[in-house]
Amino acid sequence: MLIQTTQLRKDVQTTDGILHILQPIDLQIAAGESVAIVGASGSGKSTLLSLLAGLDLASSGDVVIDNEKLSELDEEQRAKLRADKIGFIFQSFLLIPSLTALENVMLPAELAGNRQAEQQARELLGKVGLSERLTHYPNQLSGGEQQRVAIARAFVGTPKILFADEPTGNLDAVTGQKIEDLLFQMNQESGTTLVMVTHDSDLAARCQRVLRMDAGRLSEVQQHVA
Amino acid sequence: MWHNISWRLLRHELRRGELTIMAAAIVLAVTAVLSLSLFTERLQSGLLARSAEFLAADRVLSSRRVIDDAWLEAAAERNVQSARRVVFNSMAFAGEQLALIDVKAVSDGYPLRGELKTALQPFGEDQVTDGLPDSGEAWVASALFQELQLEIGDSLDVGNKTFTVTRVLTYEPDVGFSVFTDSPNVLINYIDLDATGLIQLGSRVRWNVLFAGEEGALANFEQWLLPQLNEDTHNWRSVEDGDSPLARSLQRAERFMLLASLLGVVLAATAVAVAAQRYCQRNYDAVAIIKTMGGSRGQIQAIFIMHLLLLSLFSVVIGLLLGYALQAWVIEVVAQQLGANLPAATIKPYLLASATGLISAMMFSLYPLLRLIQIPPLRVLNRDMTGNDRLSWLHWLASGGTIYALLVIYSQQWLLSSALFAGGALAALLLLSLGRLFIRVSRQAGMQAGSAWRLAMAGLQRRAKANSVQMLSFSTAIMLLLLVLALRNELLADWQRQLPADAPNYFIINVDRGDVASLQQRFTERSIVANDMYPIVPGRMTAVNGVPVRDEVTKEDESGNQQTGEQREGFGRELQLTWRDTLPANNILSAGQWWGDDAEPQVSIESEVAKRMRLGIGDVLEFNIGGNVFEVPITSVREVNWGTLQPNFYFVFNTQTLSDFPATFISSFNLPNHRKNELFELFRPFPQVSLLDLDAITEQIREVIAQVSLAIGFVLVLVLIAGGLVLLAQVQASLEERQQELVILRTLGAPSKLLSRSITYEFLILGAISGLIATLAMELALWILQTQVFELAATVHWRFWLIGPLAGSIVVGVLGRLSCRRLIRRNTAQLIRSLA
Repeated sequence: MLIQTTQLRKDVQTTDGILHILQPIDLQIAAGESVAIVGASGSGKSTLLSLLAGLDLASSGDVVIDNEKLSELDEEQRAKLRADKIGFIFQSFLLIPSLTALENVMLPAELAGNRQAEQQARELLGKVGLSERLTHYPNQLSGGEQQRVAIARAFVGTPKILFADEPTGNLDAVTGQKIEDLLFQMNQESGTTLVMVTHDSDLAARCQRVLRMDAGRLSEVQQHVA
Repeated sequence: MWHNISWRLLRHELRRGELTIMAAAIVLAVTAVLSLSLFTERLQSGLLARSAEFLAADRVLSSRRVIDDAWLEAAAERNVQSARRVVFNSMAFAGEQLALIDVKAVSDGYPLRGELKTALQPFGEDQVTDGLPDSGEAWVASALFQELQLEIGDSLDVGNKTFTVTRVLTYEPDVGFSVFTDSPNVLINYIDLDATGLIQLGSRVRWNVLFAGEEGALANFEQWLLPQLNEDTHNWRSVEDGDSPLARSLQRAERFMLLASLLGVVLAATAVAVAAQRYCQRNYDAVAIIKTMGGSRGQIQAIFIMHLLLLSLFSVVIGLLLGYALQAWVIEVVAQQLGANLPAATIKPYLLASATGLISAMMFSLYPLLRLIQIPPLRVLNRDMTGNDRLSWLHWLASGGTIYALLVIYSQQWLLSSALFAGGALAALLLLSLGRLFIRVSRQAGMQAGSAWRLAMAGLQRRAKANSVQMLSFSTAIMLLLLVLALRNELLADWQRQLPADAPNYFIINVDRGDVASLQQRFTERSIVANDMYPIVPGRMTAVNGVPVRDEVTKEDESGNQQTGEQREGFGRELQLTWRDTLPANNILSAGQWWGDDAEPQVSIESEVAKRMRLGIGDVLEFNIGGNVFEVPITSVREVNWGTLQPNFYFVFNTQTLSDFPATFISSFNLPNHRKNELFELFRPFPQVSLLDLDAITEQIREVIAQVSLAIGFVLVLVLIAGGLVLLAQVQASLEERQQELVILRTLGAPSKLLSRSITYEFLILGAISGLIATLAMELALWILQTQVFELAATVHWRFWLIGPLAGSIVVGVLGRLSCRRLIRRNTAQLIRSLA
């Protein structure tokens, strides 16, 4: 298994007592799988995503990614793990506004010390159809274009896992559809494991597995072969 | 790799104007510090050189006894030049005529500062003269030519020695401003002193050695010499010691410049602090993204520290260039206006300026940067995460420490810096609580107002904590600006009072009692502005409370006997005493009562003399006037403004005590240059009256004051810019906080007009309250400064109570309005996206 959780919990201390955001979760995701996590707002989808990606720490239980136990890694080691194995796509794109499209895509590769960063970034931007927009800043790009840059950025380190948080949430239907297509196409080409949080049932349906999050509990909705 | 990212970020952000405020703040700090310190340093050494002329040296050692050659040799070893000057009274004979003269015997090198001027004929054209009279020669003042009917080449007997008069002495730099003591001067060479046979035990002689050299060498010499001086016999003076009429003006100007530059530095540092905070906040997202992408803490540290370092270096270089250019331009203007040549500056200002820029950028960014580096990667999913503020004490420590360190480095005065810092911290606390109180009150008032006002008030209240911090920086900036402005006005007015356009340019002495009325009438007829006529009675102060004062070097002194504790040092010369019914102009009573109609014998004494001689109200002084000895109690102490060109006196008696003694009268008056030809006609009926032309001296003072005023104007402009930048940085920073609220209101359908009005009102109110608090704080600060630092009378500045709040609300309001315009113009979708 590429991703495995055992009895994963997340609690938060509030003024009214302890809030159980995630009930104990046991989850296994194989390499190459595409998994959608759906659920209402506040159900704990994003929290689960942040724990899986090592952005946050669990209250108890474990996340194992590619045989590495996240609870045994410190902040630096988790960062290294993300740099080596994980890519991200966010609803609000999260590009660095003062870097150009090309430089945004180069960033993860550079942080990982990849000397071919620029060349790879150019190729990827070409793949997402933005060869003409390399030197544009994020605020000079449309929403769809910004998300393409984000997709290119997510794939630049050839990650084993791609986490996507509502990747089309900020886009209109037509653009959203195009981004979906691009995402799945690139995912397929690279054989990456995709874990996606979404509201959109159509988008979820394109994944091999759909998991439903409800008040911190995770349940399998359906399983079909793509 | 990280340096690529860092460099790239910097390049793009600079180009896109995102770092403008931060860069501008650093540039300004460097520019201000460099130009100010360059300018002050050059001006100061220029002014000091000028003022040194009044002493004819940089330092003067006066003694009641001969000064040992060893001390002069010690000076030479330390690269300090020296020259001897011995001054005493004597009689001079020329044929059948005789006159009382001041003999000045000087050795080679005199004058060490300034120049001698001589002429070949009495009242002839004079010129700068190098060298001194040869042995056997004397240079003689014009007045003595008149008195003794001398001609060049005549013989003049002084003591046992006969001198040949070879030149007319027209100008000595160290002649001083005293119009009383001066009998006509005779300048002879020091090598002829012994031959006159006039220097004996008991002679009233002032032995002086003049010293001049580089400040460092002088300081070194002082360190060696001062411990060896005896307070009773020796007197060590420098230009700044308050003897010259310029000294006080200079000291005040220096203090003002120092203070204003300090405030400028604090303002610039504040601008850096505000900008640094914002700079780091802007990068929260970038750090979260980089961390999510797998950037390590070390990489992030390296990226942002290098980013900040490059930005600071870039800004420091620009600041240095600008500062140099600005200062050069001002010096050029000064030189053009005043024809003055100012010496070049040292490297110190450049180091100081660079250090200020780098230190403030680094230290003020320290905490925001630490916080930035700790931003959790989770922020990519949860935008509210801003890291912890466990280390906020570090922020206060670093910022406070930096400001304090800058104050100390800049002023090199622990006490002044500590006082300023402690006062500032206290004022900040007060301002903070006052600000919150005002906001609460204005919220209640605002509830009754229209919708834009209500929105503004609600906004103020909601952001009370943030706003009171903002108000603190607004208030501080406005206060410092008002302070510098008010102080400048005070100083200029004070100088103007001291040296108005119609300041006296002539002194008249030797007016007979019988001529006073007719002379005054002639002044009135010719519309000449003259001071009161003051009677002069020469006399000696001989005892205090029955104990004789030590006036002369006695045998006991020479044999080293200790004086008794009671015995005071006398003046060692005849004093000019006067009487008057009313307190003289520019004199302030600091103790006791003015006599009015009281006919009892009494005297009023000048405050500095009182302090020096440990005299006070009730002490009884004994005077000897022409053999008449009488006692008189001190009934008042006066502070005298010696800077005024009017007759000033140590001792003023009531009329009944002194008016029966024979007296001559003196006064001063102003006659414009173009009316100079009237002088002859004016004084023709009074042949015995002597006239002293002060034009050269007043011109010199005017020139210095003009230079200093210009400098102060320059300082003011720099402080203004610094203050403006703080305001701008603060407005910008606060707008970002308002952005979210704007989006909500906008989405709810609030029209742009309402939004821009409510923001403008909010800033107007903020500005007005800040202005009001600033005025209050300024009055307090000014009161302390006026009374404690500048020795001026304290005043209330009613104008500023209007100017402060008004200027505050206008400036802050306009800045706020302008800055929010762009925000309001953006459409809602853009705004929402920028917040997402």
